[in-house]
Amino acid sequence: MTSDPMQQFQIKEKAQLFEIFGQSISWTNSAFWMVVAAVLIVGFFALTTKRKLVPGKMQSLGELSYEFIANMVKDTTGAEAMKFMPFVFTLFFFILAANLIGMNPYAFTTTSHLAVTAAMAIFTICVVIVAGIWKNGFKWFKIFAPSGLPLPMYAIIIPIEIISFISRPITLAVRLFANMVAGHVMLKLFAIFAAYLAAKGGIFALGAIVPVLGTMAIVALEFLIAGLQAFVFAILTCVYLNDVYHVDH
Amino acid sequence: MVDRNGSNQTPKTGDLDDLGERLKVARQKRETPVETADDGSLLGQAWRMSTELVVSVVVGLGLGYGIDVIFGTKPWGILFGLCLGFAAGIMTVLKTSAKMDAQNAGIPLGDDMPDDEDE
Repeated sequence: MTSDPMQQFQIKEKAQLFEIFGQSISWTNSAFWMVVAAVLIVGFFALTTKRKLVPGKMQSLGELSYEFIANMVKDTTGAEAMKFMPFVFTLFFFILAANLIGMNPYAFTTTSHLAVTAAMAIFTICVVIVAGIWKNGFKWFKIFAPSGLPLPMYAIIIPIEIISFISRPITLAVRLFANMVAGHVMLKLFAIFAAYLAAKGGIFALGAIVPVLGTMAIVALEFLIAGLQAFVFAILTCVYLNDVYHVDH
Repeated sequence: MVDRNGSNQTPKTGDLDDLGERLKVARQKRETPVETADDGSLLGQAWRMSTELVVSVVVGLGLGYGIDVIFGTKPWGILFGLCLGFAAGIMTVLKTSAKMDAQNAGIPLGDDMPDDEDE
């Protein structure tokens, strides 16, 4: 075990695949754990959806998770947004799986990299923009200019609305990434502290009980955060999808 | 039943029962939505609002700086960008909190509700 709390986030290149425009594309530990997450999710839902009329325990788990996301989309955006439900579903379960995998020792937390979270956030906001223009035409840009204001106000309101729109993907990406990084660093720091105290021996070894208890508490907190951040990402995706359907706000 | 004023009217008890019933219903109405809102997403809401506020300011600052670099309007871009970013952050947080309040109280709030009729 190393004593550098940031080392757990290091990307390790396993194999170089090919090059595009001088940028090497390689198979990394991050990519590996992303695939693991995807395989786990697909496997979970393949195994739990046996489509019995009376669902067993595992099948209800699969069905409950479907209903959970379906209700989230319906309640937040409306029934017409159910087209996007598979998208929200995928986002939620990928983030949840990646976060939970990251809680295992020796596993890599893919969501602790801004590149990963930003890719998801930018894709989400692109979906909103493309679907919004697809559905409303250029009337969609009215989300930046709410109707019914005195004319001079628009000089202030439009830049403000644009800023708040641009900050959406950034909040999505930064929140998830910062949460995962902060949690894992904290976990590592407490664990290292405990190891140091135990190594000191004598009265210090007794004191190691405090950081060990702290580590346990943080593990519990991290499991909560893992689910919570997946939930927040998914529900905010729904909130942003609102702008596709409700231009006049 | 004789009440404080000495009048002896039987319907009073009926009224009281009725009132008790209505109070119970009203209390239930008030309590249940708060309970359902408390399903662990409160922390999520807190996260949401704090990041919205901070990131809006940063984005405003960044845009202002970009305008400064492109148009050479040195201090003004950052200055206005910062102000607008702060305003955007406050506005987003106010909107979010209004939406959350409405959700907690179970009140449909004007433009934030999914309106099915007008489409």
